Amino acid sequence: MIDAKAIVAGLGGAENIVEIEPCATRLRTEVRDASKVDEAALKRAGAIAVMHTGVAVQVIVGPEADTVASDIDELLE
Amino acid sequence: MNLAPSTLAVLAPVPGRVMPMTDVPDPVFAGSVVGPGAALDPRRLRQQVVAPIAGRIGKLHPHAFVVVTPDGRGVLVHLGIDTVELKGAGFTLLAVEGDEVEAGSPIIDWDPAVIEAGGRSPVCPVVALGASADDIRVVAYGGDLAVGAALFTWS
Repeated sequence: MIDAKAIVAGLGGAENIVEIEPCATRLRTEVRDASKVDEAALKRAGAIAVMHTGVAVQVIVGPEADTVASDIDELLE
Repeated sequence: MNLAPSTLAVLAPVPGRVMPMTDVPDPVFAGSVVGPGAALDPRRLRQQVVAPIAGRIGKLHPHAFVVVTPDGRGVLVHLGIDTVELKGAGFTLLAVEGDEVEAGSPIIDWDPAVIEAGGRSPVCPVVALGASADDIRVVAYGGDLAVGAALFTWS
């Protein structure tokens, strides 16, 4: 089970998230400040892995990525 | 009583050459992060992508889908790399999420040549979600498979 709230926190909080898009297996996100991303916290939230390229952060969560992304969208609104 | 799960035959959802997952140009698939399996370098012609196993379509995106068996094993078919960016352009759905399908049932219509012409890899990872690498036996690497031919087994 993936904790959407904890994913948001692990990405440095709502204000740090520029964009979040689900793919088949992952959340493709863009953050403002990459140093605020807490990989260990994302894994505790249910992420299988986290891949960083600067402000582009991919949170691999498996095939429930679309559901997690809509839960996150609701939290960010 | 035999509690061992039955061996699942996973079929080639597209026709093409069998590649090791490590050759997929994407670190998540190449690293088997969501599971092991094999990839297919698809034949460059318009084609119907078929279900690799029998089960329920648990997830259906224009560019990817998951079929789940009654015992809860899921196989992901991903059509090309970074194809989520196409937002469905070039893909026609032939099934609906939640459908019960047979192995070999048509799911999506696409043309790998169009994906490649757009600058993306058309390679198709076929992933045994959450499986252990030890439970996967790939038929043979490098060979050309017809659509619906055995790709790997999952025991």
